[in-house]
Amino acid sequence: MEQILKALLAVVIGVAAAVAYFYGSNKLLDLIFPSQTKDPADGARNLRVSGMIRPWLFLGPALLSLGVYLVYPVVASVWYSLHGASGDTYVGLANYRWMFGDSEFRQSMFNNMLWLIFVPALSTFFGLIIAWLTDRIWWGSFAKMMIFMPMAISFVGASVIWKFVYDYRGEGSEQIGILNAIVVAMGGEPHVWIAMPFWNNFFLMVILLWIQTGFAMVLLSAALRGIPEETIEAAVIDGANGVQIFFKIMIPQIYNTIAVVWTTITIIVLKIFDIVLAMTNGQWDTQVLANLMFDWMFRGGGDFGRGATIAIVIMVLVIPIMVWNIRNARKEMEGR
Amino acid sequence: MHKVLLTGVASLALVAGAAQAADLKFAPGEDSRFNWDSFTQFSDSHDLSGQTLTIFGPWLGPDKDLIESVLAYFEEATGANVEYSGSDSFEQQIVIDTQAGSPANIAVFPQPGLAADLAAKGFLTELPASAGEFLSEKYAAGQSWVDLSTYEGPDGEPGLYVFPYKADLKSLVWYVPDNFDDAGYDVPETMEELKALTEQIVADGGTPWCIGLGSGGATGWPATDWVEDMMLRTQPPEVYDQWVTNEIPFNDPRVVNAIDEFGWFAKNDTFVDGGAAAVASTDFRDSPKGLFDSPPKCYMHKMASFIPSFFPEGVELGLDADFFYFPAYEGEDLGRPVLGAGTLFGITEDSPAAQAFIEFLETPIAHEVWMAQSGFLTPFKDVNPEAYANDTLRGEGEILTEATTFRFDGSDLMPGKIGAGAFWTGMIDYVGGQSAEEAATEIQNSWDTLK
Repeated sequence: MEQILKALLAVVIGVAAAVAYFYGSNKLLDLIFPSQTKDPADGARNLRVSGMIRPWLFLGPALLSLGVYLVYPVVASVWYSLHGASGDTYVGLANYRWMFGDSEFRQSMFNNMLWLIFVPALSTFFGLIIAWLTDRIWWGSFAKMMIFMPMAISFVGASVIWKFVYDYRGEGSEQIGILNAIVVAMGGEPHVWIAMPFWNNFFLMVILLWIQTGFAMVLLSAALRGIPEETIEAAVIDGANGVQIFFKIMIPQIYNTIAVVWTTITIIVLKIFDIVLAMTNGQWDTQVLANLMFDWMFRGGGDFGRGATIAIVIMVLVIPIMVWNIRNARKEMEGR
Repeated sequence: MHKVLLTGVASLALVAGAAQAADLKFAPGEDSRFNWDSFTQFSDSHDLSGQTLTIFGPWLGPDKDLIESVLAYFEEATGANVEYSGSDSFEQQIVIDTQAGSPANIAVFPQPGLAADLAAKGFLTELPASAGEFLSEKYAAGQSWVDLSTYEGPDGEPGLYVFPYKADLKSLVWYVPDNFDDAGYDVPETMEELKALTEQIVADGGTPWCIGLGSGGATGWPATDWVEDMMLRTQPPEVYDQWVTNEIPFNDPRVVNAIDEFGWFAKNDTFVDGGAAAVASTDFRDSPKGLFDSPPKCYMHKMASFIPSFFPEGVELGLDADFFYFPAYEGEDLGRPVLGAGTLFGITEDSPAAQAFIEFLETPIAHEVWMAQSGFLTPFKDVNPEAYANDTLRGEGEILTEATTFRFDGSDLMPGKIGAGAFWTGMIDYVGGQSAEEAATEIQNSWDTLK
């Protein structure tokens, strides 16, 4: 209750302060450089000056927060990555040398590659197929709703749910994990799914697939509906079958959306952290970069140099995909 | 708008009022086992009305209720408002909080290594000299507790930075006396007998052990306790000290042997409930429940003194569940070594209330309130042993005082990245099939990269 009140108060104060800033600073600018002056030449000059200042006035807060929340952390991370554990002794590139020789880091890179290969491709693929199929059945919206629902659950929440799916109880006792229950019911032996090196990576990926397929489906479904009817009608008249229409007519027309969905999920995958932390904390060979970074940064007093070094690697990997994503989006805008 | 604000303020005041009227578990002055004089004395000399004290610690669930029952007395005595919050990612969160400059007033460290790291970085406030005097005079084996709490500060000068409060005893094996009686088993006095009993139970068609290493982000730690106990039972304590400081490498044959001693129990499918594969994935909080199934899923569970907090509802200690000392080898002549641990209270954000709280921990009543419930042992000599809730706890207290060797949990003394990282992962890998030699070498490699 107290928290809710405080939060509400913070929202009210925050909005009021923003309004006051924009309104007040604007007013102040008009007061300092009035456009209605005795000498019209003065007025025109004032108008020009205030016109030059005004955009910065409005951009100011955004630029400031960008600086504080984006630029400064990047600079600080680079600086930390060149320093020792507590961030006060300069060690040059020692952290980078350590990193490439570290088996846990190489393991994380390998696992991240696995995630990168499978998760964006599969969730885009499933999203596309589901979007296409649900558009042509009468209970399609219901199916869509069910598939979209996991999007509303946090990664950690989803992990807790899936922990129950993969739960393992000793052989002979009742299996409360649904996967093991099915396996046992079919006459198999229960397995400790999340402790099976290599394969457990895929069991963790399923969780992200479960969450992200809904996201891909919604965007792709909208894109599919945006396809002009005429092109499909023309294809039907030309005698194309359903599969041909899908692959030769529809897919090429929504190619841009597919690319956006793909790259967005790729960036999420590169930053994947919550699921691994909640499910295995990187044990049983499931370590990924973001979790490794968190481990070095904050576990047992923390090593800020090495943590920051891994953070830099993640950033370097994300940047090209992001640039490509933005360039693509911009190209699409130009076309309209 | 005015009206809305007023209502908001009014309900705020109401909430604040409700938070202060905390319930006391034992009414002051009523139970003669408690040292109520210390409570009234403390109450008379401290007035912190209107102040708020925030405490951040690793306790959740039943343990959270227990610490809050103690904190209620501090609130009652001083009028301060105490807010405790717990996290099972305490190790990470405390580093984030201190670095971000917004820690709680008091942090409850389960690991001296972590506290030492923060002290060196200047995030802990040095405690007054009176706290050091108190520890060396009033705690059994006082000097060892002072040593444990003394770290180098940011200037490199050693100082007392944390206050140990609440001890855990690790060298315990829990069992259900009825099950032992039914099967005709006796409590083993030596490690040789314990191993023979383990084989006997398998021969009789039962499963001797429940072992669970799962603990969320800290998965693996229960195995480190096994290995440490085995170190103390196969090597003199000096070797143990050299091991935790890495004077001898982690993959020294003596350490590898201790790991294999643990593996003798944990890596044998017939010895553990669910088979060796279940060991790493079973949550340590669920693990002891197998003792109480009918027929029992296992007969024994090696775990520290806090574990009754996780026993099923209605289990009565001493009657439905009991413990015996995890025995030493008769053939090794190393006495009665005991492995223990405890929590350490440090001031992460200084305030008068924080200082007063450390003084509160020096009063007998702060110990007795928790003693009278469960999962609490104290080396404080001025408390009334009668206050312990039952014979089980009193018995644990005795083991603590009868020990010929006492050592603090080794993984907590190692650097955080090892004791709360590589060691855990190494034990998971070991249970998962790696050899002790391989696992130990990997841990040593991690340790090497820290130097």
